[in-house]
Amino acid sequence: MRYRISHTTTYDYARPVDLASHMLHLLPRDVPGQSVMSAALEAEPLPGRMNLADDHFGNHVSWMFLDRRHDRFSVTLKAEVDVFFQPPPPVDETLPWEDVAAVALAGGPGAWQAAEFLFDSPMLPAEPAAGAYAVVSFPPGRPVLEGLLDLNARIRKEFSFKPGVTNVQTTVAKVLSQRAGVCQDFTHLMIAGLRAIGLPARYVSGYLRTRPPPGQPARRGADQSHAWVGAWMGPAHGWVDLDPTNNLVVKDEHVVLAYGRDYSDISPVRGVILGGGRHNVSVGVDLEAVE
Amino acid sequence: MVDGKGGLRPQWRGLIGTFAALGGGGLAERGARLRRAFEEEGVTSMLPGPSTTDHIWRCDPVPLPILASDFADIEAGLIQRARLLEAILADLYGRQSLLADGTLPPSLVYDNPGFQRACCGMPQDSGLHFYAADLVRGPDGAWRVLADRTAGAGGIGFARENRRMLSRVLPELTRPMQLRHLRPFFDFWQDSLHKLAHNPALSATRSGGPAVALLTPGTSSPQWFEHMFLARELSCALVEGGDLTVRGGVLYLKTLRGLQQVDVLVRRSEGRLIDPLELDQRSHIGVPGLMDAARSGAVKIANDPGAAAAEAPALAAFLPNLCNRLLDERLMMQSVPTLWLGEARARAMVQQDPNRWLIRPATDGNAHAMTPAEMLPADREVLMRKIEQRPWDWAASAIIPPSVAPCLQGERLEPLPVVLRVFLVQDQGEWRAMQGGLARVVEPGQLAGSLPMGGLSKDVWVLNEERSDVIGPAPLPAPVLRIRRTSGDLPSRVADNLFWLGRHVERMERSGRLIRAAVSRLARGATLAPREVVELQSVARCLVEAGCISPDFVRVESSGAGLAEALIATTRDTGALMQQFANISRLTESVRDRLTGDMYATFTQTLRSAREDALNAGRSLDGLSHAMVSIQRYTNAVAGVAAESMVRGGGWIFLDLGRRMERAHAVTSEIAIAINQTPPRIETGLRLALELCDSAITYRTRYMNVLQPAPVLDLVLADQGNPRGLAFQLVAIHSLLDELSEPGPREMFAGVAAGLVAEVEALVEGVLAAKDQALAASDLPPMLEGIANTIGDLSDRITRRYFALLPVARSVGTGEADDSEDTEQLQGVA
Repeated sequence: MRYRISHTTTYDYARPVDLASHMLHLLPRDVPGQSVMSAALEAEPLPGRMNLADDHFGNHVSWMFLDRRHDRFSVTLKAEVDVFFQPPPPVDETLPWEDVAAVALAGGPGAWQAAEFLFDSPMLPAEPAAGAYAVVSFPPGRPVLEGLLDLNARIRKEFSFKPGVTNVQTTVAKVLSQRAGVCQDFTHLMIAGLRAIGLPARYVSGYLRTRPPPGQPARRGADQSHAWVGAWMGPAHGWVDLDPTNNLVVKDEHVVLAYGRDYSDISPVRGVILGGGRHNVSVGVDLEAVE
Repeated sequence: MVDGKGGLRPQWRGLIGTFAALGGGGLAERGARLRRAFEEEGVTSMLPGPSTTDHIWRCDPVPLPILASDFADIEAGLIQRARLLEAILADLYGRQSLLADGTLPPSLVYDNPGFQRACCGMPQDSGLHFYAADLVRGPDGAWRVLADRTAGAGGIGFARENRRMLSRVLPELTRPMQLRHLRPFFDFWQDSLHKLAHNPALSATRSGGPAVALLTPGTSSPQWFEHMFLARELSCALVEGGDLTVRGGVLYLKTLRGLQQVDVLVRRSEGRLIDPLELDQRSHIGVPGLMDAARSGAVKIANDPGAAAAEAPALAAFLPNLCNRLLDERLMMQSVPTLWLGEARARAMVQQDPNRWLIRPATDGNAHAMTPAEMLPADREVLMRKIEQRPWDWAASAIIPPSVAPCLQGERLEPLPVVLRVFLVQDQGEWRAMQGGLARVVEPGQLAGSLPMGGLSKDVWVLNEERSDVIGPAPLPAPVLRIRRTSGDLPSRVADNLFWLGRHVERMERSGRLIRAAVSRLARGATLAPREVVELQSVARCLVEAGCISPDFVRVESSGAGLAEALIATTRDTGALMQQFANISRLTESVRDRLTGDMYATFTQTLRSAREDALNAGRSLDGLSHAMVSIQRYTNAVAGVAAESMVRGGGWIFLDLGRRMERAHAVTSEIAIAINQTPPRIETGLRLALELCDSAITYRTRYMNVLQPAPVLDLVLADQGNPRGLAFQLVAIHSLLDELSEPGPREMFAGVAAGLVAEVEALVEGVLAAKDQALAASDLPPMLEGIANTIGDLSDRITRRYFALLPVARSVGTGEADDSEDTEQLQGVA
């Protein structure tokens, strides 16, 4: 499946900004099951300096530095991406979840990179309540994928999708107690729960197709930046991507931007400005299937 | 001190002889002198104010001697360790082969607060430039490493101060010994920093060679003294995050002359705080874009922002193996035996007998260690449960009782356990240790963890066994310097702080003078004469204008009781004088690196005693009067030191400019208030004007007892020779502005000052020519107020031009501050 992406972020400032530095995780990366055919960023006004590099997680990062006065900054990603993620293995072929946890913690060949996603991260300090919620899906000896699918489904069923009741800084404990939130909240909750029981889990940022496939219900979290969970099934089967907001196994409706431990590692647009007063952010995302 | 056979270790022999000659009392006396020297130079504590006795570093008069041959072993072992840690860091921030093959467990890196992912892929040519280690000597006589310090170990400043003070206070001790000097180490360091500049050839073409700056969190940091000291020793600029800016991928220092490139940044702020764009976005002391500049090679940060990762205590358990693998060498300097509890066998050992171990977080080298042996059973239980739950988070070190050294306690020497910190620096692959160190007496619970805020320290002596070992500092080839006189290199923030220090000192002096003028009238007792009431009302207005008392007290009743009450209140905790003391202390501390030790001592001692006198004034006018004399002594000391000891460069210009501005404004407003009288009462106002301008005696010598408006106004307003009058300040301001380096704004500002001089002269001539001088004088106040406003306006414009508005940088796109109102802040504004 090929998608055409357009993602514009615009900052409107009440007062002029003298100096601005932005770090963007906006260029999609090649991953197994995804090839980036073309991708480009356009910024307005044109930054005085730009830089590109890959970060520690292998994501493409762009830096933009503006040292002329401006009242508005906007950056647009235009890209074309082919996706077709392999379906996960049959659940019975995956390891018991306790074995996955043990292999990950030991690290070494085959496991050391996954092990990074076992530990606390800036926005996800240890949250025992999340572990208590998650462990219900993981009775002793259960194949890890079976547990993951169960947890993915429970979050979709037991939490309501309500934009506006949370913000970027909302804690997992809060989401758990109010049983509502948006994609980022469900993703953080699921990651925190998996880590609490010793399973590596990572944050995936990206997009969900704007219109569902014919005959399918409308998806939640389309029309904006989306987020979901990458969970590790052991050295043999690697990672599986699960979207708890829609109870989907990621197949051909999602496009991956970046992987991180949590949102703070890969927020799409992050910056520091001097001046500016109040500002408004507007974001427009469009992900269309190309025939 | 004593070897295993009960004999005196050789390094102690010379020392013991000298101590014996001094006798117990003599040594105690030297100890007291040493303590006083530290207090006077402000090493022990920074700010006058509530004394912080638990945050004081003291130096024991008895040094810790180490034979050169023993120290050479320590040095060689630590050099190997430094190379090893550097290799480990290069791997962790590069290929991560140590993780890929399982040599290191993932948690030691990925669950390590010092591991900065933004540093991955940075140029790793020398990730470790500076290294220190904490050592303990066990009962077997061997030194072992308790903690590796790769982030920015403190204490080197104290080590150097200890030596300086000790050789001053106990010269007979240092003289006969073949003592290795500390200074060559700093020369070596300074030289190595210059070579760190990525393109030395390019940066050398700029005047003065590569620019090195030391990044400090500022005066609020407990290490402020150390940073100031280091900047001075390494001849580099001492800067805070707000002094720096990144433009076009290059790091610059904001100075009076504009932006100046920085090639090398000696980092003394926590790594995660140096760039809010890429690292901790809540940091207010970082420089956005700094990591980008470092990544592109435009600036070298030493040590790397991610270097703290190597401080993880549990790493010690892996070092022997890592040394074999990475360096193909056997580890020479062992760690205190350490276990990583993520390993089942290690865990079992600790669980079996917890009391034999010190428990430390596996990856946090600054956390204090826990000693199960000293814990309550319930607490120990909790700790063991935590270890059971997340064993990989913990490390255990064997408890080694550190060797003891004699320390002066009262008049006697007592053996106390000591930890030794040794400092090393690298110059292009060559490591060297400072030939000395910082030894400190360990209090219970302080064995591991970050350097405490204070305590008893000892100078560390490396003793040559033979005279032939004495090696002087190798002469370093230094480029011939161009002569420089101007001081445009002054960071804008420093100029700003000096300017405001000048203003506040003057404001304090003015408060003192006004309060004395009021007290002298109030203290005459009984009821006040009508003339005195008039004068007191003027003085009260001046005090309101100076912000000392509230406007409610302007109406003075014949008893004067209300005003007396208000004056006494200025010395209360929240009173105006106490606030002025606080402002001055803060500003003095922030410009401390611009003052010599003696200047700083003079400033702070007189300030401290003035503050104490003010606090002790109690409720008596007498006490208040006494305190005002103390304040006068302080402000005179500042004036004297500034006039006699400060080079007439940028720093002095701004200190003096602040003072002159404040005084010009104050004199003008006070005269306006004093002569704001009806013509028949103008004489009272003129007399008060002379008193407030401290010019009564001069007037009398010039005009005897005849008081007329024009001569009085000439003396206090237009006479350019009267240092208490207005014209003197204006002329001084004019010439100070003239000294600032750049032509455009300088001429504009200086023009304003010159215009004011002419205006004042015209005013006085107008009064002289008037038929009724009293009438003409009583018309002056509005015009004087206009002049005061112009002066205030000039001050604002200078502030804006030279100190630059520094709006607060904010994060966007992270949800933290998206709705917050922008708060533009002017630094230093009172």
